[in-house]
Parts: sequence; C-alpha cells; structure tokens
Amino acid sequence: MPELEISDLITAVDPDNGRRLPVRRAAVVEQLRANGDGRAARLVAGLPADQDGVLDPGAVDRLLISVHTELQRLSEELRIGERLVHLLGPLLTAIRAAGHAGPYRLVDIGCGLGYLVRWLAATNALGPDVELVGVDLDAALVGEADRLAHAEGLRCRFVHGNAFALPEAATVYVSTGVLHHFSEPALTEFFRAQADSPALAFCHYDIAATGLAPIGAWMFHRARMRHPLGRHDGVASARRAHSDESLLRAAAAASGMRPLLYEPRRAANPFCTTLRPVLGVRPHLEVPLRQALGRTSRRLLGPEQFAQAAR
Amino acid sequence: MTPALPLVALGLVDAAFSGFRAYAGRDARIRKHRANLRAALRGLGVGAVLLLAPALTAVLLLLTAADPARAYATLAAGGLGYLLPLTVYATAVLLSLAAYFVLPFRASTLAMVIGLGPLTLIRPLAVATACLGALLNGGGPASLVVGAMAGATALSVEPAVHRRWYRHVR
Repeated sequence: MPELEISDLITAVDPDNGRRLPVRRAAVVEQLRANGDGRAARLVAGLPADQDGVLDPGAVDRLLISVHTELQRLSEELRIGERLVHLLGPLLTAIRAAGHAGPYRLVDIGCGLGYLVRWLAATNALGPDVELVGVDLDAALVGEADRLAHAEGLRCRFVHGNAFALPEAATVYVSTGVLHHFSEPALTEFFRAQADSPALAFCHYDIAATGLAPIGAWMFHRARMRHPLGRHDGVASARRAHSDESLLRAAAAASGMRPLLYEPRRAANPFCTTLRPVLGVRPHLEVPLRQALGRTSRRLLGPEQFAQAAR
Repeated sequence: MTPALPLVALGLVDAAFSGFRAYAGRDARIRKHRANLRAALRGLGVGAVLLLAPALTAVLLLLTAADPARAYATLAAGGLGYLLPLTVYATAVLLSLAAYFVLPFRASTLAMVIGLGPLTLIRPLAVATACLGALLNGGGPASLVVGAMAGATALSVEPAVHRRWYRHVR
C-alpha cells in the first residue's frame, strides 16, 4: 500500500480557485486505518474538530506551521540553501551566458514557509537580477512565509495559488521536498507543465531514494522534530521518495527540456546526499551549464549516461 | 585530581547546547544568531541552577559520611569513571561540530548524518554509560546516586527551557 502523509490529508484546497475545503476527521482516520497506519489514524483522531466532525481549520493551520517550522531546522542543518546554490548558481550563469536577458524569476513551487526563497533573499546568493517568488496552495503557510519575509525585510514575495498560473512567467522553477507527493503519472504532468511554459529550466530537489533514507529520516525526525505528525510524515516521505529511474523517466516525458539527474545514487555517497535534484534544461543550455559546473559536471547525468552507468 | 571541575564544566557546556536545542525549530526566521545566543544562555542559566541538586547531594553525602576522606575518595573514583564515557561522547560531538562548521556542505551533511543527529539521540545512553562507568570504577552507590541525578538534570534542561520560553512557534 502506498505510504500516506498526514499533512496531505488534513487539508484540502479547491484546485480551481484555491479555496479551502472542509475535511472530515472520520474520513481521514478511516483512510489511514484502511492503509494499515493505525498510529497516524490515532494522531488524526486526536485533532480538534467541530460538532459535524470537520477538522478545525485554525488548529490544523497552527499545527502545520509548527511542523514546517521544525522542518526548516532540518533544511538549515543540512545546508539545503548552499546545496541548491551549488547548482542554481551555475544554472543562472549558463542562462546569462546563453544571452537570455534578465531580470530572471526563480519560482519555488510548494514553498511552504519559503525557507529557500527567504534564505536566497537574505544571502543574495544568486545575484540582484534574480527575482525570488514562493508559491504554495496552502494559504496559511504562504501567509506565514510572507510575514517572516516582511519581519526581516527580505526582497522576495509569496503567492497563494497555482505556480503555473502566475501572471509573469518563471525563468527557473525549483522545489525542495515536493516531488514525492506526486504519483509517477502526476509527476510526468508536473514536468510537462513546466516544459510547456516559457521557463528555461527546472531544478527539483527531493529525498534521495536510498536504502538508508527511511532509517536516516526516522533518526533525524526523532532527534529533531517534537510533534509526532512531523516524525510520522518525515519517515513516510522517505519511503515515498521516487527512485532515480522514475524521476528521469518522468522528466524525459517533458518534451523540449533535456532531463538530467545530479548526483544520482551511483554518482554520490548516500551519507552526503540526502536530497538530490532532477533537472530539466532547454537543450541549448546543457553545454553552458556543464561549463559553469566545471569538474562537478561529471555528476550530472542524462538518460543515456545514466543507463550506461547502470550497466 | 578531582573530577568535579571538568564534570561541572561539561555539565554547563551541555546545558548551553540544550538551551540552543530547546529553541531550534521554533523560529523560522533566517537571521537568528542573537536568539540562538539568548537560548544558549538560558540553557546555561537553567543548567547552572539544576546542577546544584547533584552538587549539593554530593556535599551532603560527604558531610554525613562516617569517614569523609574515604567517602571523598569513593566519590572521586566514581566521578572519574563517570567522566570517561562522557569525555568520549563530548569529543565525538566536538569533532562532528568542527567538521560541520569547517567542511563544505557535502562533508558537513556527513558530519550531521553520522555525527550530530545520532549523538543527540543517544544522550540518555551516554548518561547511562557514565553511571555504569562510575560504578565500575569503584564509585559505589553514592556515586551512582549523584551521577544519576546529574544525568537526569542534564537531560531535563532542554525540556525545561523549551517549556518555559519556546513552547510556541515565534
């Protein structure tokens, strides 16, 4: 049975207008029980609901903000910002070198509390010609991201809604820890939507699907997360992570983008690579990207190099 | 040499780290060096007060002993046995921390994954090993009582600071 994350089930949004939908506690509990996850079912059964059994949206929002704040601690400790800049820096260098005029727009899909966007804004790591935008379907998380950015006077913005329906086109789409929320067919659609947009590239980081990942996730969430929901979902995420093969397969379906994996399983130490990205770049950007990466470009594999490495 | 001073120093440093951990994950701002420092100082303060309990217990045991010199020697032996496993643990933490801060992000991930993360998780085990060390080194029941109190104190600083100042997300 596929792993379910509690945080995916306790909120629901109308995809057409972004409005929040009521979630019945009993339905979520039943779904988790049917999936054989009694612990998660008990956690949800303990969440506050009104007399009709609908989960209290305010309590759910507070819980998710709290869990995402704890989750940010993991991103800080694992230096996710630096990890992304290691690749996004050369990617933007390649875009500039290929003659695409700025300013450029980096859109973080499913940004949550917007840690990456706010960190990039605070460090100015990508340069002043890169506009930073975070997008999420969860209004409470986006609102909190916006509040935090204002509190620190950061030059970035956050939008509640669909990342593919923004009034201005993205230059590069990014995400961290989002891909495992999609099934493989949905993942294919996700990459296709980006290939069909005017974006020049995408770069999505997600948990590296190694044998160590669920053990590492258990240990880290146990050591660092206080709320049992965060601990539960952290391990479920690692179990749901897509393999290198399925990521590359899904990205390859996005025609017009060259699919690439950076630091896949065979090219990286699993202890050093907790998250690794799948990229899609317009074909003319691959050579300048490899040049900008220098020696580390050997870690960047396309489908044919990946297949060769597998043999 | 009395092991009391290094044990107190270790306890206070641990309390400062506990204060930091109590705050970590409660504030999603990017720039929070000052808040980190404040949390560490709060941990230090709480730890200093709580560590008075095992220190006073040790003093009480010495004052009420029929043979204070012998009781002191027994406690000192227990203290040394207690200190040894904690020194190994503290060295592993310091090396992991140094690797985390000095090395580039890949290696720092390694320091986190095989060092700092598991080391946080095994803190109760480190305390239990220290208590065992106190017994094995001839510290007797008195050392075990003081050691167990000190260990419980060290482990309670983080939840105490968290409950007092950082229960809610900021």
